Amino acid sequence: MKITQFQLDALREIGNIGSGHAATALSVLLQRRIDMSVPKVWAIPFEQVSEIIGQLDTPQAVIYVKVEGEASGKAVFFFPVESAEIVVQALFGTSEQMDLYTSEMAQSALKEVGNILVSSFIMALTQFSGIPLQPSVPALAVDMIGAILDAIFLEEGVLDETVLFIDTQLSGTPKIEGQFIFLPDAGSLKKLLGAMGL
Amino acid sequence: MSVVISVGMADYKIARAPDLLLTAGLGSCIGICIHDPFLKVGGMAHIMLPTANGSLGGNLAKYADTAMELLLRDIAGMGANKSRLRAKMAGGAQMFSFPGKPPVLKIGDRNAEAVEKELKKYGIPLLVADVGGSFGRTIHFDVGTGALRIRTINQGEKVV
Repeated sequence: MKITQFQLDALREIGNIGSGHAATALSVLLQRRIDMSVPKVWAIPFEQVSEIIGQLDTPQAVIYVKVEGEASGKAVFFFPVESAEIVVQALFGTSEQMDLYTSEMAQSALKEVGNILVSSFIMALTQFSGIPLQPSVPALAVDMIGAILDAIFLEEGVLDETVLFIDTQLSGTPKIEGQFIFLPDAGSLKKLLGAMGL
Repeated sequence: MSVVISVGMADYKIARAPDLLLTAGLGSCIGICIHDPFLKVGGMAHIMLPTANGSLGGNLAKYADTAMELLLRDIAGMGANKSRLRAKMAGGAQMFSFPGKPPVLKIGDRNAEAVEKELKKYGIPLLVADVGGSFGRTIHFDVGTGALRIRTINQGEKVV
């Protein structure tokens, strides 16, 4: 499907509001200031993902949530491992190092954080489109970002050749960075834009 | 002076010794590496799905069957002898499992099976298959020696 500049602008605005909610939720949770960037929106073939993500073998903590409903899709939130460690430490109020690869407690805390962030975005999508959407139970993987993303792209059915990225970055002090992507399933984007009168 | 040639997602490249081929962050995708040890030429494909299912158009390097065709065509174009070709592969992991839900669609396993089937079809011996698990892999392939270096975050690094 062909996406116009006007539609991209509208999606960027939704991303903006979604990341606003997410930044607020995260700053309440962590009791520290979290900033957000103006989101970027791309409609690209997924072969070009690396041009957006950068180094595909950088270790990242990725929270993956399936979005169910009439406009289904996949929502992904990812932190560089160092940021994820800081987030977990802040949550538990400890300065002790927690191993994200092995600590179940750290992993479940991260899933919960991801859940809250992803829900903030889904709420914004629902507000604008009037289409009710439900997030699934979150899944977590800590590994090379490229490896995790390719598994998400390929999981359950075939995506369109073109995927839509609503990509937004959150940042906080000290050194918390995170990135969000929403990948609508084939047909979902048309429904969302249609419901918004675009 | 050897150059490292990067192979993207759903992409394939060929090379001549001493150059190396690299693909970063393989999850359920598979890196197929083929070389002619005598002529020291070879190629790598980063496939995402088992088969193009007869659908023409789109990106043919994305599928095991059509990518293999492209790869073999270009390797032959460099003068390689089909009967000397050797193959190695890595990837095909399962990165996620959702709680309470059986992993119905193990796309990584299906990719690995598809690659094996294609190699069998062309009569190319598969020397190494480092597939499965639940972790990502970054691979370097030396088309001259056939050495495949596999790097992971937590499972160490090895040359096979």
